[in-house]
Amino acid sequence: MQEIKRRYVIPGDKIIEGNYKPLMNVMKSGDYLISTRIGIAEAGKDGVKVIPLSGVYIPRVNDLVIGKVIDRSSLSWDIDINSCFFAHLPAQDVFGRDFSPARDDMGRQLNIGDLIIARIVSFDRTRDPMLTVQDKDLGKIPYGEFIKISPTRVPRLIGKRGSMIQTIEQATQTRVIIGQNGIVVVTGRDIEGLSLAVKAIKMVEEESHTTNLTQRVKSLLNVHDPSELEQSENAVSSTAEVSNDAVSSTAEVSNDAVSSTAEVSNDAVSSSSSSSSSSPTPPVTSDSSSQINLDRQEQSYSTAESQPQQQNFASVDSSNIKDDVEQSENDDASSNLADAYQKEKKQEANNEVV
Amino acid sequence: MNELTLIDEHGKRSDGRGIDDLRPIKITVGVIKNADGSAFIEFGKNKIIVAVYGPREVHPKHMALPDRCVLRCRYHMSPFSTDTRKNPAPSRREVEISKVIRESLEPSLILSDYPRAVIDVFVEVLQADGGSRCAGIIAASVALADAGINMRDLVSACAAGRLGDNIVLDINDLEDKEGDADMPVAYLPNIEQITLLQLDGKLSTSQFNECLNKAIQGCKLVYEIQKEALMKKYFGNELELKEEVV
Repeated sequence: MQEIKRRYVIPGDKIIEGNYKPLMNVMKSGDYLISTRIGIAEAGKDGVKVIPLSGVYIPRVNDLVIGKVIDRSSLSWDIDINSCFFAHLPAQDVFGRDFSPARDDMGRQLNIGDLIIARIVSFDRTRDPMLTVQDKDLGKIPYGEFIKISPTRVPRLIGKRGSMIQTIEQATQTRVIIGQNGIVVVTGRDIEGLSLAVKAIKMVEEESHTTNLTQRVKSLLNVHDPSELEQSENAVSSTAEVSNDAVSSTAEVSNDAVSSTAEVSNDAVSSSSSSSSSSPTPPVTSDSSSQINLDRQEQSYSTAESQPQQQNFASVDSSNIKDDVEQSENDDASSNLADAYQKEKKQEANNEVV
Repeated sequence: MNELTLIDEHGKRSDGRGIDDLRPIKITVGVIKNADGSAFIEFGKNKIIVAVYGPREVHPKHMALPDRCVLRCRYHMSPFSTDTRKNPAPSRREVEISKVIRESLEPSLILSDYPRAVIDVFVEVLQADGGSRCAGIIAASVALADAGINMRDLVSACAAGRLGDNIVLDINDLEDKEGDADMPVAYLPNIEQITLLQLDGKLSTSQFNECLNKAIQGCKLVYEIQKEALMKKYFGNELELKEEVV
């Protein structure tokens, strides 16, 4: 039995010799297991796998994906899920079992161009993927900043137990929805926070395989570790200078971020404009659970310890953001901002119900 | 032009190489942002850019295969790639080379992993100097790996040929036109299988064997360059396999 090891491989590289179980992106050739992708090979007791570093999205059952409605027939919508297969969302999934094409107007629920978050219920080699929005937090995404990243970078963006995405969300007061297919939607009220979050996500994508990435993301977002905070509190005299520096650097950062956002939003324009075109007449939903609920005050904020290991998208309770803001800055203005944010969200939620 | 100019009395060829020398090869991976995978190769004076798109949905739909992926290749020479302008319309030669490139890449890909989809490979020759099909195959294979398509092995390619009584490696444009035989070979270095073998000219049985072995040796040299280019793109300057105990 050889020791468990990780190493870089390209297609055709021999990973290990012996009777191991091929798990992912690995094939047997003679006595050897060889890699079929560029990536990081891991040989363990349960088997051998290669974590790929490039490639398009291939759907898998139970994946959470963000897709765009591209067409509709009388019984289902066609969804582009950034893959070589179009997904189908059956109308019965949204309207219930008694859906009738003659009675129900599918356009009232989803229009062409709308973004949805959905789960893949079935997919195999013979059929296109089938989606569902019948679950908590699934359904239409009303607004947000649209980013496309490589699907192979998604696990890195989420981080261990959602650590990376939580860092970004908390530091920028945004909410980030990540689809396994590499589509990310960032929502938030503060434009600077939004553009900073977009910049951080782009950074994670570009530098995903480098070491110490979390630290660099934190420095980009001006997040300090608790130990560093204590040090800065001790050094009271230098605080003023530090804060000045921080302000100037933030201004630079946000300028850069705005320009990058402009690029990014080119992609998003088509989707967001089409979804905003339907926003003056908000769709009336009979089933509120299929509508994505941005107001998350009721939900308890799940801490890193209690979270399931595979967290497809992380959610942040806005009240917790408020707590963080108060703890870190102790600034009345920002807490007022958070209160206003909550009130507005409540109003929006009410409007949607009406 | 007689044969003496192709190989001089010191065993040097027209461009100064020995009989077993490759032209200088440089591969850059990921040069086209819009493509799923791409590579740029400079193979002597050849300059070829390859873009890979896919797996993606097939248009027209009737071309899709129910059990595996369709591989489409397009080899094209730019009008400015040769000394006299080349008509940009696909010629008989380009259609044929597109086909042989496709057939030499197909055995390396696990196409059954992507049923009902298509992979498009575009090979664009910016500057041609003999052996462009080999250079195209080398770059296309690297671009396919860059696109993250499941592969059994990389495909490397190299030509060998005959100049008079000498069997030489890596024929250039002049040697192709004035020499006696040209044999491009594409090879899977890890699996040790040949995916392309063409021969233009005459070789005796012993010459054929020598030529084939020489071409395979050339493929193995090319493979190291392909591997290094991919490693450089994905793992930075850590060209050696990094091993760590978890």
